[in-house]
Amino acid sequence: MPDLLHLMLALAIIAPLLAVPAIGVRVLLADRFPGEDVAYRLSAAGLLLSTLASVVVFGFFAGAFGEPVRGEIEFGRWLQIHDYEIPLVLLVDRVSVTISLFAVLLTVVVARFSRTYLHKEPGFVRFFVLLAFFATGTQLVALAGALELFFAGWEVLGISSAMFIGFFHERDEPVRSSVRAFGTYRFADAGLLIATVVTFELLGSARFSALGRAGTLPAAESTLIALLFLLSAMGKSAQLPFSGWLPRAMEGPTPSSALFYGAVSIHAGLFLLLRVWPVLEVSPVARAAGVVVGLATAVYAALVVRVHTDAKGALAHATLAQVGLIVVEICLGWITLALVHLVCHALLRLGQYLRAPSLIHDSHRFGHAHHRPSLLERAAPRLAVRAYAASLHRLRLDDRIDQAFSPALTVARAIDRIDRRLRSALSLDGPS
Amino acid sequence: MFLDALSAPWETLAFCLLLLLAPVVAAPRSHRPPVWHAVALAGTLVGTLFVADPALAFLAASLSAGIHALSAWPSTRTGAVALLVSALLTVGVAAAVGADQISAAFLLSTVAVAMRAGAMPFHAGIVSLCDRAPRVQTQQLASTIALVFIHLRFVDHHDEAVALAPMIVRFGAGAAFAAALMSTVQRDLRGFFRSTTAVHGGMVIAALGAASLHNYAAALLVTVSAGLGLGGLGIMIAALEERVGIVTYSRANGRGEAFPRLAAAFALFGAASVAMPGTAGFVADDLLLHTLWMESPVGTVVVILASAMLAVSTLICYSHVFLGRPTALLAPDLIPRERVVAVALAALLLVLGFAPGLLLYPADAFLETVPTIAASPRPAGP
Repeated sequence: MPDLLHLMLALAIIAPLLAVPAIGVRVLLADRFPGEDVAYRLSAAGLLLSTLASVVVFGFFAGAFGEPVRGEIEFGRWLQIHDYEIPLVLLVDRVSVTISLFAVLLTVVVARFSRTYLHKEPGFVRFFVLLAFFATGTQLVALAGALELFFAGWEVLGISSAMFIGFFHERDEPVRSSVRAFGTYRFADAGLLIATVVTFELLGSARFSALGRAGTLPAAESTLIALLFLLSAMGKSAQLPFSGWLPRAMEGPTPSSALFYGAVSIHAGLFLLLRVWPVLEVSPVARAAGVVVGLATAVYAALVVRVHTDAKGALAHATLAQVGLIVVEICLGWITLALVHLVCHALLRLGQYLRAPSLIHDSHRFGHAHHRPSLLERAAPRLAVRAYAASLHRLRLDDRIDQAFSPALTVARAIDRIDRRLRSALSLDGPS
Repeated sequence: MFLDALSAPWETLAFCLLLLLAPVVAAPRSHRPPVWHAVALAGTLVGTLFVADPALAFLAASLSAGIHALSAWPSTRTGAVALLVSALLTVGVAAAVGADQISAAFLLSTVAVAMRAGAMPFHAGIVSLCDRAPRVQTQQLASTIALVFIHLRFVDHHDEAVALAPMIVRFGAGAAFAAALMSTVQRDLRGFFRSTTAVHGGMVIAALGAASLHNYAAALLVTVSAGLGLGGLGIMIAALEERVGIVTYSRANGRGEAFPRLAAAFALFGAASVAMPGTAGFVADDLLLHTLWMESPVGTVVVILASAMLAVSTLICYSHVFLGRPTALLAPDLIPRERVVAVALAALLLVLGFAPGLLLYPADAFLETVPTIAASPRPAGP
């Protein structure tokens, strides 16, 4: 039976990706692109296989095949050289099997929805290739037993997310939004990568099981690692001050918005926090920072959602408010509540996002919702007006981030200028 | 065991030959270099990788730089002169090794690698090659891998190398960071290729610095993965410029619709050069960071930031070059010989990404062996 478990775990991760080489080799070597049916069937087959595998893994966890299976499942090593290794280890526990099964089921639902929704869309094949990437990234994030594997899945999620945002690339705005989201991801991902390296160096292993020894580290070191994890989670889950990319991400097709920013990807940062809880637990500073960030994000998003005029943008901020609250729950140590909140919230938002294109039809059919004054409007009308005015510009978050990075760009331009002059002085060539 | 049958020089030769032949296969018949050129380069690569005498190996490496200089001369004299200087430095390494001056050999060899890899501020010649002769640049990446191989094999097993390691790591990390900063403000495709090459040059130097702490195989993997990624990018850029001329970022140009395969191959090589999971770059970067940490934690963080900036620059470049409103272009997409090259390079990047041990383990076993020439060699590694 353990061999079956190994096979199922591997299939849960790899199966969605099988569509990519099948389509990719055809695109590179054949003279014709695959049609909609072929692309959909290949993707759907991979996703269904992954779903089946996830169900079986869940069965192993629940004890349906004998003794319940819990803990690390070894697959060998990706590489091992001297005292450094990247273990191919997956983790079967309550959090991983729940998220794995949940994510793949939602992906299957969205894939089926998209087949109709994106019919005859020029990027149909591209959509399903990206969906396959995304599904593999999600499964890897959910089941990884070591930080290196987790980071691999995390990166795949980030890249596929950026590609989905820029899906309608004929227009400039989605492309710009995609670059901004990707830039935010990569900046925040640097935190995860540094944390991975530091964890390995300080604890001797980057397995999640090794994080239990975080309590033996000096407070400064464990706090540093915890803050780096928090930074990374903030970027992926669009917590302040990285919230600016989320409304821009709504430029992507509705099914991908639903899957990424309603259901799965936006919650990946929370999943990271749940995974590295042993480090957070021993770092009150990082937990306090998480509570502040989560609360600030929730308040900010709750204000913005009241002045947003488009459905997907409003939904994005409503999502953000709840995600901020889940961050608070995790940092307060309410892990089970956070997990339940996460799953229920993801389900609700997925449905809302997928219904968003029908909103105008719904409002004609059912009438508009009446505006009810909020507590803030009743208690402090002037403050409410000011808060809403600021919210209209989303606190100019993007402008402030641009300002923060502008000195770096000035330095970059100066280096580039000096470099061009030096090369020009050294050049023996005429103009090209 | 299959792995036991592999040997590091043979494997490295295979990678080098692929990079050497890729531009020859991809180039139109009228642009192909003469046959003697490829044969001579292959011969020098065999000499560099297999000769047991270090002086002769470095002489063979200098000969290959000379042949590259000859090919580059009609397109860029700056690039050709830089290659000649690098060849002279390599001759200097051979002389220093012959005279048992291992410290001098180590320093000269490091500078020669920096020039060939395009690390700032030794990058003037190589960026000229990127601009004016991307195919020669791809070919010279092959002999750069061979040069790094003999650097690791012959002149890195030395106490002075260990003493200089932190400085070299910081230098490499700084060079990569400066180049990555520059990459964020480029406004044309050639600028992107220049700065990407310089970022990887810095990383190769940082890897060489960390190599002396028994991280030889990691440094070789970093160099091979940079070579394959940059080689693929160079060939795709040459292919695109042959179709549409020099490409600037003035607006999103929507070439992805006209050249979908070219866009896909460019994306794959770009992703490999920014360490996308599944490609050799991911494992190489991961290994590089762990080896750098031993020498310089600050250098490690700097390299991580450089890598993040390069990734953003790559997406910016891709979005300007291939995304946007579709443009009607009459030129064909990748033709079969270009596709074959793209698939071969991409396959190798993916194979090394999923099974890095294919290169790492034989290289580790081979390069850990302390050469007999070193004046004060250190004991073998763990």
